[in-house]
Amino acid sequence: MLSEVQTPAVQAPPVPFFSQARTFDALWPVLESRLSDVVSHGKYSHGRTVAELEAALAAWTGAAHVVGVNSGTDALVLLLRACGLAPGDEVLVPAFTFVASASAVSLARGRPVFTDIDPVTYAMDLGSAAAAVTDRTRIVAPVHLFCQLADMAGVRALAARHRLTVVEDSAEAIGMRWDGVHAGLLGAGGVLSFFPTKTLGAIGDAGAVLTNDDRIADTVAALRHHGRAGRTVDNFPGISNATVVAGVNSKMDDIQAAVLLAKLAGLEAQIARRAELAARYTERLRPCTGVLRLPTVVARDVATRAVFYVYLVEVDRRDDLAAHLAAQGIGTETYYPAPLHLQPAFADLGYRAGQFPNAEAACRRALALPLYPDLADESVDRVCDTIRAFYDGTPA
Amino acid sequence: MRIPFFPPDLFEADRRVLIDLVREIGTDPAQTFLLGPRTARFETELAASVGADEAIACGSGTSALTLVLRAMGVKPGDEVVVPALGCAPLAATVLNLGATPVFADVDAHTLVIDPDRAAEAVTPRTAALMPAHMFSVMADMPRFRELATAYRLRLVEDSAVAQGGVLAGVPAGRWGDAGVYSFVQVKTFGLAGEGGVVVTDDAELARSVRALRNHGQRARFRYDQVGYNSRFDEVLAAFGSYRLPGFAARLARRAAIADHYAERFADLPGVLAPPPGSDGRCYYVYTLLADRRDDLSAYLAAHGVASHVYYPRALPHQPAFAHAAPPGARWPNAESAAGRMLSIPVHPYLSDADVEHVADTVCSFAARIPVA
Repeated sequence: MLSEVQTPAVQAPPVPFFSQARTFDALWPVLESRLSDVVSHGKYSHGRTVAELEAALAAWTGAAHVVGVNSGTDALVLLLRACGLAPGDEVLVPAFTFVASASAVSLARGRPVFTDIDPVTYAMDLGSAAAAVTDRTRIVAPVHLFCQLADMAGVRALAARHRLTVVEDSAEAIGMRWDGVHAGLLGAGGVLSFFPTKTLGAIGDAGAVLTNDDRIADTVAALRHHGRAGRTVDNFPGISNATVVAGVNSKMDDIQAAVLLAKLAGLEAQIARRAELAARYTERLRPCTGVLRLPTVVARDVATRAVFYVYLVEVDRRDDLAAHLAAQGIGTETYYPAPLHLQPAFADLGYRAGQFPNAEAACRRALALPLYPDLADESVDRVCDTIRAFYDGTPA
Repeated sequence: MRIPFFPPDLFEADRRVLIDLVREIGTDPAQTFLLGPRTARFETELAASVGADEAIACGSGTSALTLVLRAMGVKPGDEVVVPALGCAPLAATVLNLGATPVFADVDAHTLVIDPDRAAEAVTPRTAALMPAHMFSVMADMPRFRELATAYRLRLVEDSAVAQGGVLAGVPAGRWGDAGVYSFVQVKTFGLAGEGGVVVTDDAELARSVRALRNHGQRARFRYDQVGYNSRFDEVLAAFGSYRLPGFAARLARRAAIADHYAERFADLPGVLAPPPGSDGRCYYVYTLLADRRDDLSAYLAAHGVASHVYYPRALPHQPAFAHAAPPGARWPNAESAAGRMLSIPVHPYLSDADVEHVADTVCSFAARIPVA
């Protein structure tokens, strides 16, 4: 020992799994003015700002109709209902996804029928989907997870073969495109979630339905406002319109719409920043002992556009790594620790472990790393160094 | 003089507070936006305000009703007795669970569900009674409590419009096995967005509602039952905590306006005001029954007073619900009220001069004397 004096350990700043605080702060002048307009207009849900957001999103995505609702989950429930899902109808849903992809089917009183996933895209495996079709199957509901679309050419071919309606769970997929067409517009309709962590995120819950179908848009618009016909957005007397369908209350808050409008102006730049960060992760984690799979955007016959909402890796000893990262102040998320066919909520559907091996394997190995435009390059480097050190057995 | 039905500048005085809260929460290092510490605090305050063991904040009053019905196990094949007059969620929440709403007629004057008609509607398939408070009058909750006990039924109190009301010393929302309040801006405790709450003393029901509002999640990514996304956001929670201390004064102002109306409208020909009194009252909306309703509405409009017809049809006559009602059945009081009801402004931001002008205009219509 040359010295007994200990230098204080330099504490690296924590890397939260998610933050939009810097973006929010930078947008504040715009946002403050938008919020001030909401207060001046005096309508705090289903008002003028919501209508403006719907129009802006329609322009951004190319959708003929965008119907703003209270959450991505509600959007999917209402879209399924508007597509004519009747009690007992079957809907094909991948087993590896957020619970709402399947619970929306149950809430719409249909029956989710699970399929395995493609191990690279984590989206619905089409062979598994084809095998699950019965004479009660009405809808195929692919989910676009993490950074890319499901194989929509394959989904559409399957749908055509079995006369199924395509409903896209595009909750995560804002900005993703297939042959120029925005996610959610490749079938009857799709949804967007504006949960705070999303690529376009509010500071509360909000969601939307995207569709080019006038009838579906009208039905969703009625369903979200107690089943009332006609125009109700920013139109108080519309609450006395006839109730034409058993609806729900799924109106969007104008404060959330104001946040989303302020962020929408910078969305392309935010998507580009996400791509930069994802590329940085990939560069630093390839190769890395213990990291079994990095995100791979699959080339299709047509041009597609990937958007890195989540940077998901598959790793050895996943839970140990997550705990180690947490101890170092690095946040991660386990998307998803259990496949839906084995969740207690769907136990009555009678599935068993082992039925969907790709979904089950992904649940054992997948880990989402911090990825958001506010994240610094140095934070990505620190995450990668910490992962390397974990598997190399050396201190970071 | 122009008197809008609801205040157009509801939170003008709170502009700075509301905008600052959005900034504080948007930039808070915790980055918690839903069901966070502000929501927990607001729930505690709400529970204390009505003496409930539990308050569970959720996405809307409608959603609160749905969560309660689900938590009670209402399922396809079940029946729920509901008023034949009222807001769509009374029937829609039941139908969306695959159960059947059974419509009971309302009292001809108070417009709330008639307990005798409700008792007649009970069958072996009835799972719950769901009376609703309407406009300014609470339902006859002592009778409904008796009925629920006698028939061993769950009692869901649709108190969405009645936060702040008290009947026989018991707050609205506290008579049922569970009650709900809605925070949409026009309600007595309106906030700056959509929200609602379930209040209950039933710990098991509360646990179930808490799970159901967040996807049926018991632990992170562990789903015991199919649930909803019906969460409460931190901005509204913080704003709710800020607005709660002023609630009593705003309620008192509503009551004073309603008392004044009751006095002025006591013996008007052709226009019937709600029964006077303060027990079991909550002045969300003040609703008259007028023989020449559309004429009164036009007359008020000509004198700058906005009015509103809430329910132009009885619930079982709405296209969405007709299929749930027995063919040929009638609900005479609900049907009659739907043709005569007209609601006039009663919100707490009306000035004394506004109130006087509204009262004068109604009285002059009844007396067929033009207002000067």
